[in-house]
Amino acid sequence: MGEHVEADNAEAIITRIEHKSRKIESLLKQYKPVEALKTALEGSPPKTRDERCKSANWIVVHSALMAIKDVDLMFSSLDPEYYDILMKYLYRGLSTGDRPTCDQCLRIHEKLTQRAGLGCILRALSDTVNTV
Amino acid sequence: MHPIEMAAIAVHQFADCITCHAWSPDQSMVALCPNNNEVHIYKLVEENWERIHVLQKHDQIIVGIDWSKSSNRIVTVSHDRNSYVWNEEGSLWVPTLVILRLNRAALCVQWSPKGNKFAVGSGAKTVCICYYEQENNWWVSKLIRKKHDSSVTSVAWHPNNVLIATTSTDGKCRVFSTFIKGVDAGKPKKSGSGSLDAKFGEQIVQLDLSFCWAFGVKWSPSGNSLAYVGHNSMIYFVDQIGPSPLAQSVVLRDLPLRDVMFVSEKLVIGVGFDCNPMVFAADGTGLWSFVRYLDGKKAASSSGRYGSQFTEAFGKFYGSSKQGTSNDKGRAGVHDNCINCIVPLKKSESTKLTSFSTSGLDGKMVIWDLKNQEDLL
Repeated sequence: MGEHVEADNAEAIITRIEHKSRKIESLLKQYKPVEALKTALEGSPPKTRDERCKSANWIVVHSALMAIKDVDLMFSSLDPEYYDILMKYLYRGLSTGDRPTCDQCLRIHEKLTQRAGLGCILRALSDTVNTV
Repeated sequence: MHPIEMAAIAVHQFADCITCHAWSPDQSMVALCPNNNEVHIYKLVEENWERIHVLQKHDQIIVGIDWSKSSNRIVTVSHDRNSYVWNEEGSLWVPTLVILRLNRAALCVQWSPKGNKFAVGSGAKTVCICYYEQENNWWVSKLIRKKHDSSVTSVAWHPNNVLIATTSTDGKCRVFSTFIKGVDAGKPKKSGSGSLDAKFGEQIVQLDLSFCWAFGVKWSPSGNSLAYVGHNSMIYFVDQIGPSPLAQSVVLRDLPLRDVMFVSEKLVIGVGFDCNPMVFAADGTGLWSFVRYLDGKKAASSSGRYGSQFTEAFGKFYGSSKQGTSNDKGRAGVHDNCINCIVPLKKSESTKLTSFSTSGLDGKMVIWDLKNQEDLL
């Protein structure tokens, strides 16, 4: 996770995200929401300033998040290395104000905090450089 | 859970809130600021702490106090942008104003190992290096103006009395030379390559490990390593300071730290918002990791528990009933608010460091001793 992204090439990033999006759609159709979420979180572009890239990736992460039904099951197969980036996306979700999104994000936030601790929240909130 | 001997050996409530504290050279007296513009000096007289001096000169809150082991002088810095050096003359402490030339608050101070210089970090994005000029009988302040993009939150002297490390709210930790002709021996060389004799104000190293406010830098006893913390609940360990430093970032599960202290080359104590000192150790290969909390009945944090103060809030927030999670961190411990200052208590140069004191926003000062903590020493 967090492989180095071609920082300035927004077009290339968006193309990769579109490619990822197709893979995620297919995983969701196969009822593999956790795989879909991992794929969505991988290569998240926090090092780019381009809002379009961030939005494009958010859409993809959002679709995977909304497909999660069993949150505990999700955590049993999600590696801790994803916790910090997931927390950042949860806060993005909470900031949309959209009821179903917020409900889902809140449900996942509770469990993620239990697993990862308050430090995870601190890292999501205090990092103003690597935002999602 | 095996019984752990209490590491906290003494507690005293000095005030509602303490901003910082420092010990006298023989450790019989402690100077602290009770969250106002005064310094109170207490002496332990037959098991009771008696206040023997109140130093009043600053106009605003005092955020840094240091007491030199070599010269017995006290230096204080305040949000009033000033610093005073206090000399004991008979039964009085006499202040000397140091013109720092700051247009923002002073935030931290430390005497150099030899006691002939002191460093002040400020909100003006500068570090003042102050030294005594015999001819004029006053303290001169020389500013390191470059490099910092934001407030300098802490300063720490390398054992060589020339290099200094700083942390800043711009997220970075930096090492500078403070070589001053006439004060430090030797000559500054042309350009720094980590050499001891780089010019005054020259940056030796910049560590870009954190993306948020950094605090609490300290050097290891040998000066080969340093440690500092980020407000993102991380602690950073850096070995082989120089052109290619080896940095490690350790992720914290819980709330951020505010200050750290090296017990030895391989053992660090961190203190902060969990109100409970955290122990970090380096293994044989030099890999640092969190060992355990120091206070009372704490096991190594591993299971899913919320931090102390927020448990009630979360219970209501999620609309579910709290399962009576026992939060046996902060609340049940000795400190019940953020610990923001940790100071070593070393009897003499030759003895091993096992004892230290902490103070915090709860107004308590706690003395700790590690000698009963067999798993650590």
